[in-house]
Formats: sequence, structure tokens, C-alpha cells
Amino acid sequence: MSDEEKNSWLEKNTFHHGEFWDILKLVEEKEKKGLKISLCIPTLNEEKTIGKEVLILRSELMERYPLIDEFAVIDSGSQDKTLEVAGNYGADTYLASDILPEVGDKRGKGENLWKAIHQLKGDIICYVDADITNIHPRFVYGLVAPLINRNEIQYVKAFYDRPLNYSSGLRPSGGGRVTEILTRPLFSLFYPELTNVIQPLSGEYAARREVLEIIPFPIGYGVETSHLLDLYHKFGIEAFAQTDLDRRVHRNQTTTALGKMSFGILQTFINRLHAQGKIDQIPDMETFYRRFEVEDGAYRQIVQEVVEEERPPMIEIEGYRTHRASLSS
Amino acid sequence: MTIETQTRDIALETLLKDIPRQIENLRSVRETFLTDAVLLGEIPSPTFGEEDRIRLVMDRFRENGLEEPTLDEFGNASGIIPGSSSEFAILVTAHADSVFSAETRHVLEVGSGHITGPGIADNSIGLAAVVALPKLLEHLNIKLKEDLILLANVKSLGRANLEGARGFLDTMRRPVKAGVCVEGASQGRLSYSGLGALRGEITINIPKDYDWSGFGAAGAISHLNRLINQLMEIPLPKEPKSKMTFGGLTAGSSFNTSPKTGRLRFEITSEGDDVIDDLETRLNEICEQFSMETGTEVRMETVAKRQNCGIPFTHPLVKTTRAIMHEAGITPKVDPSTGDLNALIRAGHPGVTLGLTTVENLREENETIQLDPLYAGLAQLITLLQAIDGGLCEE
Repeated sequence: MSDEEKNSWLEKNTFHHGEFWDILKLVEEKEKKGLKISLCIPTLNEEKTIGKEVLILRSELMERYPLIDEFAVIDSGSQDKTLEVAGNYGADTYLASDILPEVGDKRGKGENLWKAIHQLKGDIICYVDADITNIHPRFVYGLVAPLINRNEIQYVKAFYDRPLNYSSGLRPSGGGRVTEILTRPLFSLFYPELTNVIQPLSGEYAARREVLEIIPFPIGYGVETSHLLDLYHKFGIEAFAQTDLDRRVHRNQTTTALGKMSFGILQTFINRLHAQGKIDQIPDMETFYRRFEVEDGAYRQIVQEVVEEERPPMIEIEGYRTHRASLSS
Repeated sequence: MTIETQTRDIALETLLKDIPRQIENLRSVRETFLTDAVLLGEIPSPTFGEEDRIRLVMDRFRENGLEEPTLDEFGNASGIIPGSSSEFAILVTAHADSVFSAETRHVLEVGSGHITGPGIADNSIGLAAVVALPKLLEHLNIKLKEDLILLANVKSLGRANLEGARGFLDTMRRPVKAGVCVEGASQGRLSYSGLGALRGEITINIPKDYDWSGFGAAGAISHLNRLINQLMEIPLPKEPKSKMTFGGLTAGSSFNTSPKTGRLRFEITSEGDDVIDDLETRLNEICEQFSMETGTEVRMETVAKRQNCGIPFTHPLVKTTRAIMHEAGITPKVDPSTGDLNALIRAGHPGVTLGLTTVENLREENETIQLDPLYAGLAQLITLLQAIDGGLCEE
């Protein structure tokens, strides 16, 4: 792709949520095209923020404007009151382990996203993280609007300013450290077109069922990266769009947690480099993430296993095919 | 008992009987007003800086189909739910400003039975109730004869001295049957009188040529301390009831440097206008004397001054409100207002202020409202509007 083409993609497929303020118009367009939209929030111990997300998104986008047809919270086994609070405000609540029990239960956000494809009925599925403290309907309508309006777009990513939440208040920017230090350099090396995706690791995106069901889902940190790489490989950059959602306030993560996350993303990335023929051979990769801690002046190595297990494309699961067939009949 | 009184009583009885249904119905549509409370509450709206919150109010007024949604010259947002006869108007108002600065982190937490965050009680939930009224009335299938004017008033608190509400009422040319001021805090509140009040600031400046070696020489904090002690010695009458509150003290920024400026904010409230006038004079005298004795510059500025006003306890509006509260399971607590009600009554309209729900940590960043009592709080408001509309609150 030439620089000119890249710029053209940026221009054509980058939106601002403000372009879609007329939600009623979106609802009309959605109904005209006969689309159903499902919203999924994957959770694990999110009782502090889930109530507000469900209240606002359901009230504004199901009751006031019927843009969303189905609203589900899919939980990994929270120990707090996440499901009680979410259910209280009208979300359909599920335990990931209860969905497709015949394929077993794995722990991770990607597992919940993957199982949502089976559980939810929508033609478009929108995923929104549960830890957004400044939740607003734009986090949903900004993402589904390009899919409603333009048939050729398959997958819409969010981008935003990312102030971090500190006890003393907000610190502007500084979020997206893994993006800038790991993902962006890797994309620049191997997938330069994907560098146009401003926030490749954002947890908010919407996609059509047809594309979600044909790609594998890492259950851990690599799920966002794998989506981009797999869909880019199959459809090219034109399948993507991105929407500026302004500001997103979220919890800050420690550098240690980000190191572990990067380790998981790297596994996903290298596996795809190999699968897509970008590199010939890779050795058997370690699954132990090693780092150091200093205690009483002595260095101590901490070893944690981070295995980026993957779920196969949902379309390959018999239970899913049967379920979809029963829905369409 | 006259026939007219009997008819009124029967009409009121009919309204009161409907309260339990209203409470249950309001519970089932709580998302309507809770969402507005959160969306409005997460927009900072300090006094004199309410524009962003008011913009959302205007959007909601339009979305909810109000007639004539208007942003007036004072910054207030208003709109009308048209009645079937529209001879008179009923005014429902809530202040849109908050005591929290724009720098405060305006993030609300929504739990199963509560909402917590700065300003949710004072007054995001009150404002949300006003904004959501068209939807709530529609849901309850209530249609009024009179026009209902909804007003989100600005510049209400502190220094602003009810500027928005006063401006709106001064320029409104419609006959008003009655007005209701809506506050989040606290359920049971029944205000039908505006309390006379004086708000002021006393500033102490240490002049450049101050003799730091003189007897009793000190920085602004020490002087303010002495001055406060003198103010506290002023005898306040028990009747009429009077109170002096020191609400803010600002001086200094270090550990080891005496500040040269200090400021005290205070409020005097009294049921006697003469008491307030006397206290104002007394305070000015104390400041003048203190200045001369200490060689400091002491200046007292009256930020806001209001006279007592109100309608009698026996006014049908108050009597009806009490009956409604009783039926809704709410115990009335008479509490003279220093807020919007003053502007309403001084403009010549009968009015009351109601509180919607139970509140903890009022005016703290972890201000919390309980959701369960809220439905009865809203039902009392809606039933009162029906009673005013039905002519049950007139003398």
C-alpha cells in the first residue's frame, strides 16, 4: 500500500463519534437493513463500574433509542457482586463456563468474547470493556455506526485519549504503553499498513458475526492483536475502520502487569508471523515469563507461566453450527 | 364544611390513593431518571460554570419533546410541557450548579441500591427528576390542565445568590399557580419559607508598612483566629432563631511563613430581618475596631443578603404537601430554605421545596443517595403537581 493509499484509508475509514450523534438515524438505517446488534461486556470482578455501564448503555441505547437489541454481561467467575449489579440494571448475565459447556472452560477475557459469538444473536457484536469510568453511549454507537452505514466495513476499533486514573486525579496521556513500545514497532516491521490503526489494543470494538466466527480467539492478552492480524490477512485494511471516542478513563496498570501482557501478545504475534509465512521457522517458544524483584537488597527471579491458548474459529464448533441452524430455521 | 371543601377533600383523597401505584411504576422506569442523574452528574457544574451541564439539559428537553426549550440570557434552561387548558403555569425547578469545582473528579459509582459521587444529592438527582418529568408523566399516563414549566436554574449557590432563578422569575410574564423546588437532599424536607440570610467575606491584609516588632504583631492566620473569637462572642437571640456559620477559611500555603492575607467566609441566618441588619452593623463595627487596634486592613464584604419570606404553615399548598408526604410514607421535616425557594416566594409565587431521597456524606466527594426511597420521593413530587393542577393548593 502506497503512502497515498494509506492516507486515503485513514481519511475514509477514520471517524469521530460526533459524526454519529443522530442515533435515531442509525436506528432507522439499522432497521432498514434488518440488522440486529448485540452488546457484550466481558467481566471479572467489576462491581464498581459495571452498574453504571449497564444503566447508561441500556437506558440510552435500548430504551430511549432501540439501537441495541441484546445486552449481555459474560463473566469469568467474579468473586464480587458484578453479576448481581449487572442483572439488577437489566443486563442478561452469563457465566462463560455455562456457555458451550462441551468445549470446556478456560479463564481469560478472550474466552468470554469467543463464547459471546455463540450466546448472542446479533449480526453485529460490539464489545466494551467493563472498567470504563467515564462510560457514555458514544462507546457503542461510535463503533457500530460505521458497520450500519457501510457494508464493506467488517471491524471497527476504538481509539481515544487515555488519561490514567491516579489517586491524586487524572494524568493526561501516558496510556497505551504496550502499544507504543511493543505493538507499534512490530507492526512497523511486519505489517506497516496496520500502523494506521491508532489504538490496536483498545478493548472496545464492533464486528460482524461473519468475520468473528471464522477467526480463532486467543483467550488471554493476544486477542485484540490476533483479530487485527487474522482479519487483515483475510480481508486487507479496507475491512477495518476506527472511531475516535474522545476520552476514556480507566484503571492504571503496573509496569509488571504490562510486561506479562506484552509476553502474551508476543506469543500471539510470533505464531501468526509463522502461520502467515512472514518468517520461516520459529523454535519452540517458552511459556514462562521471567522478571526480577529486589528483596532486602537481593535479586530474586519471579517466573510466571503465560500460555496464550487459543480457541478455534467458532464456525468449527459443531454446537455453534447446530445452534445457528436452529435459530435460522 | 363547605361543599367546596368537601369536593377538594374528595379530589385529594383520589390523588393520595394513587400514590402506591405511582411508586411501583416509577420503580419500573428508574433507568430513565437514574441515567440522567449520572450523565448530568458527571459533567462538572460549579457555580458560574454550568454551561456544559446545561447543554445536556437542553438536549434532553428537546429529546423529551418540551415546547419552547430556551436557553435564556442568565444561562438557565427551561421548557414547557403544555397542558390542556394552559391558563396558568406551574413551575418546577432545580438548581444545576454544584459546590464542587471543575477540577474535582466527577465520576459516579452506581451500585445496586445507591449512587455515590460528588454532587449526586445536591443536586444532580434533583435536576434529573426535573429533566425526566415529561417521560415520567407520560409513563404514569398523567396529563395536566396547566402548562408545566421546567427550569434548570444556574448561578444559585454561594456568591451567585440565586442569580439565575431571580433573573428567570423577574422576566417571566406568565401567571404562576405555584412553584416546586426540587432538591436531592433530603427526603422529608419541607420548606415553605425562605430564611433571611446574609453571606459575607472578611478579608484581612497585613499592610506593607506593618510593624512586625510591635506588641501582638502576627500574621493573617493569627489575626483571623482572634477575629473569629470576637465574632463568636456576639450574643445571638434565641427568638427569633438565629445562627452564625463559619463556612470557609483561607490563608497561607507553607509551614514556616506567616501569610499576609487571610479570608473568612460566613453566613448569618435568622428568622428576624432586624437581627440580620443588627448583626451586619455589629460585624462591620468589629472589623473596623479590629483593623484600628491591630494595624491591619480588615474589609467585610456582603456577598448576598436576603430577607425572610414565606407562606404560612396553614397555606393549602403546605397542608396538601404534608398530606401527600404522609401518604407516601414520608415524615415531613420543616426546614426553612436559603435556596431557590427564596427567589420564588419573593417573586410573589407560593412555593415549596421538596427533598427526594435519603443522603449520606452531603457535599463530600463520596456523597451518596439511596435509591429505594427515591421512588416515594418522586411520587410525592408528581402527586403535588397534580394537586396544584387540580386547584387543591389555592387559598
